[in-house]
Amino acid sequence: MTGNPISPRPDGANARQVLQLERICLDFAAKRVLHGVDLKVAEGEVVVLIGASGSGKTSLLRCINLLNSPTSGRIVIDGETIFDRQAGGGREIAKQEVNRIRAKTGMVFQQFNLFPHMTALQNVMEGPVTVKKQPAGAARDKAMQLLKAMGLEQHGDKLPRQLSGGQQQRVAIARAMAMQPKVMLFDEPTSALDPELVGEVMKAMVELAKSGMTMVIVTHELGFAFEIADRIVFLDQGLIAEEGPPHKILLHPTHERLKSFVGRFHESADMLRPFLEAMHADQA
Amino acid sequence: MFDFTVLTNNWPLLWDGLLMTLYFTVITILAGLAIGLIVGLIQLSTFRPLVLVGQLYVEFFRNIPLLVTLLWVYYAFPIFAGINVTKFWAGFIGLSCYVGSFYAEILRAGVQSIDQGQTDAATAIGMSYSQRMRRIILPQAFRRMIPPLAGQSIIQMKNTTLLSMITVPDLLYQASYISSFTYRPMEVYTAVGAIFLIILVPLTYLARKLEKSGMMSK
Repeated sequence: MTGNPISPRPDGANARQVLQLERICLDFAAKRVLHGVDLKVAEGEVVVLIGASGSGKTSLLRCINLLNSPTSGRIVIDGETIFDRQAGGGREIAKQEVNRIRAKTGMVFQQFNLFPHMTALQNVMEGPVTVKKQPAGAARDKAMQLLKAMGLEQHGDKLPRQLSGGQQQRVAIARAMAMQPKVMLFDEPTSALDPELVGEVMKAMVELAKSGMTMVIVTHELGFAFEIADRIVFLDQGLIAEEGPPHKILLHPTHERLKSFVGRFHESADMLRPFLEAMHADQA
Repeated sequence: MFDFTVLTNNWPLLWDGLLMTLYFTVITILAGLAIGLIVGLIQLSTFRPLVLVGQLYVEFFRNIPLLVTLLWVYYAFPIFAGINVTKFWAGFIGLSCYVGSFYAEILRAGVQSIDQGQTDAATAIGMSYSQRMRRIILPQAFRRMIPPLAGQSIIQMKNTTLLSMITVPDLLYQASYISSFTYRPMEVYTAVGAIFLIILVPLTYLARKLEKSGMMSK
């Protein structure tokens, strides 16, 4: 119905699936966190996961690259099955294969998780050199390019603790991008940042989306979700309660819990609402 | 009342003892580090029976007094196993196994003190277990482990004096020997204490400096 304002998304029906999650269930101890989630993400698509804390959005994101190992379900990344476990079926995938396929995803964490004993440049080079066995010279050139794209060309030789939170998070994005992932996963990338540093990280992510990168983002920033998402997925109690384009989810929610969840967004956005709806009408 | 001629006259005996002490300190620390690395990594594995074996080892050697271990390895083990064990091997095995259990705990605690996010980040870029350990976790953990490793190693040098109980001619054994025929225990044992002080005070000071710099790098 709408073209997307940001990412050059190919026609939805024909687009290749980069990521398929089928019936993902996850238990922590005796508690079921995910109750059979299905999610498909097309090449170039930007999907934002929202939901209250405890709804399972971070758990779901961490299932994609198996930082959380699901209890059951199937995960296909770029046409390759990385996980397959069903009641009465499925198959074990060798650890080496898992590591290889996992590298097709890049992940950015809430707490950045840069390697503190390495410079920014070494952080970005680490994956290509250690995992992909690329020669150091070539990896260094590529890493410098990535840092430059993140506006950090001055900071390559600094240690993480010498950088601001916003700079650290941009190094983390460059580190993930260095593995040339098919899909980028963001776990609340701006939640740990001082308010004045949030903008620079969001800007970097918008640039990434514009370049056509497939992205799955967990965030509490609904305004940012509205801006960057092709599709917003609302998780509630371990299930997808509602999904759709941003204007539908954030402006015309139908699910009761989603209505109350976006209520606070509306309160702050009420003034903008006429403008947002006019913008949507323009696109339609 | 001090008669230090007993020291100057018997200096070669003391010197041999000191060399023996230093020799055992170095080789048992090296062997202990190897044991500690292996046992520590075993304790950090995810295979439950292996973890138990590691814990068993650590609790065993940490909770039996070192002197009892040494006496057991030297006097009881040969009867038990029906083989001959020289006092040097008994001393080497006992001291190495003992200090290895402490090193293993230091390694385990050091690795476990590294934030889970580091493992997550390393895994997310496709690293295998051994790559994560080698490139990300151990380099950070070793920095935090330096002060406790230094402290334990200093204790290890003092513990080598227990070798005299299984007649290994270390510094203390030589001192007892000298005092047995000179009847001057005061001078001889004072000298032994002084030698330990001269060697270990600077090392303790160094360890404390490492501790401070280690804290700052956090």
